Amino acid sequence: MNQLFDARRWWLLVRKHWSENKKKYTLSLVAIAGLLLLWFILKISSEPGSIGIELQINTYYSGLFIVGCLYASMLFADLGSRTRGLNYMVVPASQLEKLLCSLFYGVVVFVVCYTAIFYMVDMIAVKAGNAIAYNRWLKGHSAGDIFVPGKVYNVFSSPDHHANHPGFVFYLLLCYFALQAAFIYGSLFFPKFSFIKTVIALLLIGVCISFFIAKVIAHILPPGNYQHDLTSYEVFTVKPTASGDGVMIYNDPASDKLITLPEWIGDVLVFLLKYAFAPLFWLATYYRLKEKEI
Amino acid sequence: MIDIQNLHFAYRKKPVFTGLSLQLQPGHIYGLLGKNGTGKSTLLRNIAGLLFPDKGKIEVLGFIPGRRQPAFLQEVFMVPEEFFLPDTPLWHLVEYHAPFYPKFNKAQFEQYIAAFEIPAGSTLQNMSYGQKKKVLISFGLASNASMLLMDEPTNGLDIMSKSQFRKVMAGALNENKCIVISTHQVKDLENLIDRITIIDEGKILFDQTVEAISRKLNFQISFDSEEIKQSLYNESSLRGSAIITANTEGEESKLDLELLYKAIVLNGAAVTAVFKH
Repeated sequence: MNQLFDARRWWLLVRKHWSENKKKYTLSLVAIAGLLLLWFILKISSEPGSIGIELQINTYYSGLFIVGCLYASMLFADLGSRTRGLNYMVVPASQLEKLLCSLFYGVVVFVVCYTAIFYMVDMIAVKAGNAIAYNRWLKGHSAGDIFVPGKVYNVFSSPDHHANHPGFVFYLLLCYFALQAAFIYGSLFFPKFSFIKTVIALLLIGVCISFFIAKVIAHILPPGNYQHDLTSYEVFTVKPTASGDGVMIYNDPASDKLITLPEWIGDVLVFLLKYAFAPLFWLATYYRLKEKEI
Repeated sequence: MIDIQNLHFAYRKKPVFTGLSLQLQPGHIYGLLGKNGTGKSTLLRNIAGLLFPDKGKIEVLGFIPGRRQPAFLQEVFMVPEEFFLPDTPLWHLVEYHAPFYPKFNKAQFEQYIAAFEIPAGSTLQNMSYGQKKKVLISFGLASNASMLLMDEPTNGLDIMSKSQFRKVMAGALNENKCIVISTHQVKDLENLIDRITIIDEGKILFDQTVEAISRKLNFQISFDSEEIKQSLYNESSLRGSAIITANTEGEESKLDLELLYKAIVLNGAAVTAVFKH
């Protein structure tokens, strides 16, 4: 018997998790559907007309980020309670299987169900929006006007106004998975009020990084500017003043020096920024779970 | 089966165990007795792998509990004092939880549930705390795990249920199983446990089999003031004085666990000295 991962045991965990949480999950999905519907109703009433692609995409991703992170911060909430935590820990499955079961529900099942719910509500909202817009068009259109109904858009393809950034939606999804992974880790790291504490921790980390870049790095580096990305840096020209009692710093492409890191470093950095955050947080969650004491 | 060597454990800066060593063998029901806060539950949680020792070694069935390997977890079942059971129908436990325990026996589970008078088709949500506890005990016994750890199992059980518990437990032991019952309600365990371990201040105060206790100590009611004075422990009661004396004549007497416990806590040195002869 493999002590690290066994597909049968993992499947047993998945079944057990579902049998214990199906009521809660079903009610949550109904609540999400209700909130999305309410949001679309509010939008249609305030701005009568067809529902455009921007509203659909903004709604989808705002909901995904908010609900996804909220749900992620509850994934290991059981471990914040001694009785529930003990019940969780003593189940004969490895920590990896337990983590993968949580990720299966928190990452895969959640995104699939949320997307299905969103489209269900979106279709209703688009039809309702079209009906209202059509009635208005009937009352007020002039000769030659054509009624263009709104349609249900694919939220996974970039809208036209992001044509210059074809990977916009893809990066948004990567951002979501990285952020959600941080909240999953937070749910284990902070036994109580994990959502709020994770938000505060992420803000603090953000402030620290900004401070480090703006104050510490800026003081270490000579006067200059980053070019395009963080892998090339233009060092400004420094010359003594005419009086000889100081220096002048100025940007002159002819005499400035450009320091460029090897291309592969840039590629590795970009790859890590794009794909490494979520797996790193999952890995940290795994080790945290292994160390967890009840 | 359980080998604890030089266990050190502390909650932050409050030490609980400072060098505890203990060996437990299969085929016995061990009674782990002690005052509140002496570390009984902490010891059980260390054995179950829920807490990690700061120093020392714990080995259970050849496993290091802290690694929480599935093969270890399916051989150890814990009935904690405070527990959680999901609000699901009873049969869900058998359908979704039991498959994790390869030796789980459904017929046994149903038999224990019947013995505890739990309606078979009921839902855990509608059960009282005591009923839920009986379900958990039944599940633990039916899991046929080699190691059953019970923390205050009779807390929350009514008088009839305590009697049912003793009956069920007595029939559940076999030569491959080791049952450790931690409690401060010593009366509930009389006639059930066959080895008594008393811990106090994180140390083993007393560790003897019931057989050895019966051989070495005599429990009786006495009116003889001289005998009372010379006893290892005495306690006045309406019927005279309950005393413990050294059993030098090989007499048979009924073990009074509560009296023994008090004797160990209040006059431990004298009592343990009897076992050294």
